[in-house]
Amino acid sequence: MAGSSLDVLQNLPRITLANLRPEPGARKNEKRRGRGQHGGNRSGRGHKGERQRGTRPRLGFEGGQTPFYLRIPKYGFNEGHSRRPQYQPLTLKRLQYLIDLGRVDPSQPIDLTQLVNARGVTIQPLKRDYGVQLVDEGSDIFAAKINIEVQRATEGAIAAIERNGGIITNSFYDPISLGILIKPVPFFMRGQPIPKRMLPGEDMVPYYMSAENRGYLADPEEIQQARRALAQKYGYVLPDISKDELCHMLAMRKDVRQIFFGLSPGWVVNMPEKKILKPTDEKLLQYYSS
Amino acid sequence: MLRFSCLVFSRGAARRFASSFSSETALPPNLRLPSNLVDPDRLKRPPPPEDSSLPLIRKCDAALPAHLSPVRTWVDTLESKDSEPLGLTELHPDVFAVTPRLDILHAVETWQRNYKRISHANTKVRSEVRGGGRKPWKQKGSGRARHGSIRSPLWRGGGVSHGPRGPNSYYYMLPMKVRVQGLKVALSSKMAQQYLHVVDSLNIPTPDSQYLLELIRNRHWGESVLLVDVSQEFPENILQATANLKTVNLIPAIGLNVHSMLKHEAVILTLDTVRFLEEKLLWHDERYTFLYPFKLPYSDFP
Repeated sequence: MAGSSLDVLQNLPRITLANLRPEPGARKNEKRRGRGQHGGNRSGRGHKGERQRGTRPRLGFEGGQTPFYLRIPKYGFNEGHSRRPQYQPLTLKRLQYLIDLGRVDPSQPIDLTQLVNARGVTIQPLKRDYGVQLVDEGSDIFAAKINIEVQRATEGAIAAIERNGGIITNSFYDPISLGILIKPVPFFMRGQPIPKRMLPGEDMVPYYMSAENRGYLADPEEIQQARRALAQKYGYVLPDISKDELCHMLAMRKDVRQIFFGLSPGWVVNMPEKKILKPTDEKLLQYYSS
Repeated sequence: MLRFSCLVFSRGAARRFASSFSSETALPPNLRLPSNLVDPDRLKRPPPPEDSSLPLIRKCDAALPAHLSPVRTWVDTLESKDSEPLGLTELHPDVFAVTPRLDILHAVETWQRNYKRISHANTKVRSEVRGGGRKPWKQKGSGRARHGSIRSPLWRGGGVSHGPRGPNSYYYMLPMKVRVQGLKVALSSKMAQQYLHVVDSLNIPTPDSQYLLELIRNRHWGESVLLVDVSQEFPENILQATANLKTVNLIPAIGLNVHSMLKHEAVILTLDTVRFLEEKLLWHDERYTFLYPFKLPYSDFP
């Protein structure tokens, strides 16, 4: 409580520029070599030889014996690590925490933009992050009906969300679209038209087309079958979404080429004047709707 | 005992001397004090009592936490030299009654002094000093010490080995929240030591500097006074009155800083300034960390 310390201040002299000093023990004097009884003499370098004379060989040298780092054969553990997509994990526990604190609105579709605006996850698209993955730690505590869109999800997480009557979709964002998605305002300030979202590469297409992973390219009927199969596997009753009041919101899904919910590719957003400009040229419309 | 009763002092000053004498509140008998000594404790107006009859002019805009109670102060006028306070104000405790972190005050004050500093001290190294390319005398045979150039650091007129090198910047930034906390701590310590006064507005009847000085002397505000208003345009009278005064200074509320607050003895805020400061300083307590620079539009930035 600040009360007693402020009362103590009342009896002390005025705080002026001459009275300020740092907390005792905050500033420690630096070690100065070559000065005085303790820093001087050999200045902490030892006695004679390569140590004192500063001519020690490089790190890892073992006096001529084949060093350890050359004895061990190479193996491609980290080969191509800078080309591997990474996904920032998001636990269901953290998602429930954000919903409970009111930072994420469950009555609207939950997008990566909403998660980043709530400061729930930090995505770095320049560090080979391709989005967020849903992890099923906290699936037993999770109890919220949401329409969430992530880039990867474990089976347990999918089961937990569908058990509570929500919808989960896995969609792909290429790095440029991802950069635009997480920081929309700096992109709109640039004045460029919204680009269309690229389709996934060859190795990721099977993942996003399979219904078990609830990919955005999969067939809706297959997804229904997969939902029933998962419910049977995990042993819960699949709630009927079409009879829900929020079913319209829950069924909202983005188009394959769309980045933002209300905006289509090709539009230009004018932030200072709060206007949206749409293209009228036929070729442009054809390109952006392909 | 009679001698002590006719002294000007009250208990306040005796408290300061009490540390040298174990538990006595009386002054030592051989203490000689000048006759015109003034005890500042007796001149400070005590904070308003609970049952004051004056009206409450302003309440805190922001919602107060339940465990904190607002700080109450008098509201004065600058209209006449010796007028009674107009009313009372409530000040937010999270701005005007925070824990007095003197180490934060010191950190912010040193930052303010040093971040603008560019030291232009520069010395020439042995390669930059004019001359000194040729070996002065041959290596062996001359009987003198061996040297390679006349501008080595050993020589008179030679280069400096480890001197200051060129314009050097001491720029660093303290975290935004530390600087904000420094402002809050400065305001709280001024309030706690009763050097902070609230005024309804900075309107004076005359553009006379003497009027201001007499007003300050009558109210025992101190030697130096800092007047803070919200807008960058001040009334003509106060501008003229403070123009030639060295110890009485005017600043807009956006220019409020820890160094100015500590340099001046008294800080005078208007009611609008108090509202502005509370709004701006309390926002930092409950804000998200930034995603992109604050210059770009945010939906909830004030």
